[in-house]
Amino acid sequence: MIESEQNRVIKIFHGPQHPGITGNMSVELDLVGETIQKARTHIGYLHRGFEKLVERRTIIQAFTIVCRICVPEPDPNEENFARAIEGLAGIEISERAKYIRVMVLEMSRLSAQMLWMGGQSGSVGLGTVAQWSIYDRDLILDLFEELTGGRVYHMYIYPGGVRRELPDGFLDRLTQFLDYLERRLPKYDNILFDNSTFKKRAIGVGVINPDEALKYGYVGQALRGCGIKRDVRKDNPYLVYDKLDFDIPTFEGGDVYARALVRRQEIKESIKILRQVIADMPTEGDIMQKIPKHRKFKIPKNDILVSCESARGEFNYYMAGDGTEKIRRMQVKGPSLIHGFTLLEKMLEGEELSNVAMIMNSLGICPPEIER
Amino acid sequence: MIDSLSKQYEIEDKGNRLFKIRINQNEFLRTINFIGSSSNFITLSQIACSDWIEDEVFILNYILTTDRRDKNLMIELEISREQSKLPTLLHIFPQAEVMERDLHEMYGIDFIGNLTLYDFALEDWNEIPPLRREFDTLAYVNEHFEFRAGREDNKDVKAETKRRRAEAKKLKAKKEAKK
Repeated sequence: MIESEQNRVIKIFHGPQHPGITGNMSVELDLVGETIQKARTHIGYLHRGFEKLVERRTIIQAFTIVCRICVPEPDPNEENFARAIEGLAGIEISERAKYIRVMVLEMSRLSAQMLWMGGQSGSVGLGTVAQWSIYDRDLILDLFEELTGGRVYHMYIYPGGVRRELPDGFLDRLTQFLDYLERRLPKYDNILFDNSTFKKRAIGVGVINPDEALKYGYVGQALRGCGIKRDVRKDNPYLVYDKLDFDIPTFEGGDVYARALVRRQEIKESIKILRQVIADMPTEGDIMQKIPKHRKFKIPKNDILVSCESARGEFNYYMAGDGTEKIRRMQVKGPSLIHGFTLLEKMLEGEELSNVAMIMNSLGICPPEIER
Repeated sequence: MIDSLSKQYEIEDKGNRLFKIRINQNEFLRTINFIGSSSNFITLSQIACSDWIEDEVFILNYILTTDRRDKNLMIELEISREQSKLPTLLHIFPQAEVMERDLHEMYGIDFIGNLTLYDFALEDWNEIPPLRREFDTLAYVNEHFEFRAGREDNKDVKAETKRRRAEAKKLKAKKEAKK
């Protein structure tokens, strides 16, 4: 803590070691009393140089690190990486592989929403919710472990399809989990979404102006929480999302509470999508297309942009090939780049110190995807 | 919308609602302003940069997206690696501030008019900007960091694999000769 101007302005660093920070980052706050005058985001505590490392690796070598770009939600990274390579190399994957990928992405979305619920509730002092939601997330991780061999990082979605066939009875176990989660949701409503403590803290706090939201490039709940219906799965569909029936929930208000309600409804929509995937998934078809051996897998000289909708919003990958077996350039842009800087710094001005953790959680800021 | 732009620019349709136009550096601001005012590509979603050291250029792609978020437009331009300067887009897109800071740090590109090009992910970095192709990560690591104790017998994996393969081949040949 630094005191200055005759103790009038106090500067504190919220993070990187702070329970209310969403990962390895820090927000430098200038305070007068409890009110924030100025906020400045600092990153650099987790710079692992993925984008540089990828440039000296073959596809299979790069594939093992892309999932690490976002710890709570690695699968959108795998999907974007695979789809970018497929787009550049002209590979079309089977219908069955597309359905499996949608299943993995929606499971990943549920897992990320559960983790968010833990963080968001913890930021307002509702520790019990976190214990419940982290337990429920673990049940999804059990399914991931069975399917992919990994709990947090899956390395499952690979250019050409997916790496393993579904284990026997997997879809039944997934259905059982979805039934269980559906029964749990009213309990989460009682303990978090309808909880008067949470409402009092979250309503009217961290408000986003809808006029700025589109132009400034906000994504995910930041948009949908102020009534703007945007979702890559609907607006620019990929895989088999255009064949599935689901809604894009929106709420008015633009505050922390509206964003929380959007997420609550998105859990319901993900369950709906997963049930359709289980019912409609083709039983025939290769899960992996024939692709060149990895040392001979050359990426044509061209470039591409691919997007997918993560649990926190639009996730983009720009990729350029140069005709060799190594990727010339892979540039990642997740929701956190704009939310963690342009939006957060602006939003925190005039807010109370006690609301910082809650606002950060509501924006789903994940520092590793900023530093790449 | 794309049709109206095609009267002014040659547009490449890259599929999946992704389009590209290529422009010269001196057309940059005029193009961004024209597209911003005459189409609904209203959001700057990404500035992608790649280093083509063999051609001594950086290729930048300013990626704009529509208000419906259903189409993406890449505006591609080449700039010299040695004189890498471009005007900032901060006055049009506030989110450009952080993107330009990132590219300034990683490639050393100056964005004229952006006064906040200070440290982004790195701190007090005085080396070659790390995403330039000539920056050798491995050499940097070997020069600046020490392997932690207990790894003195660490071997080069490639060399070791080669050695073991050669040994196995020799052994196999010996066995066959004995037969």
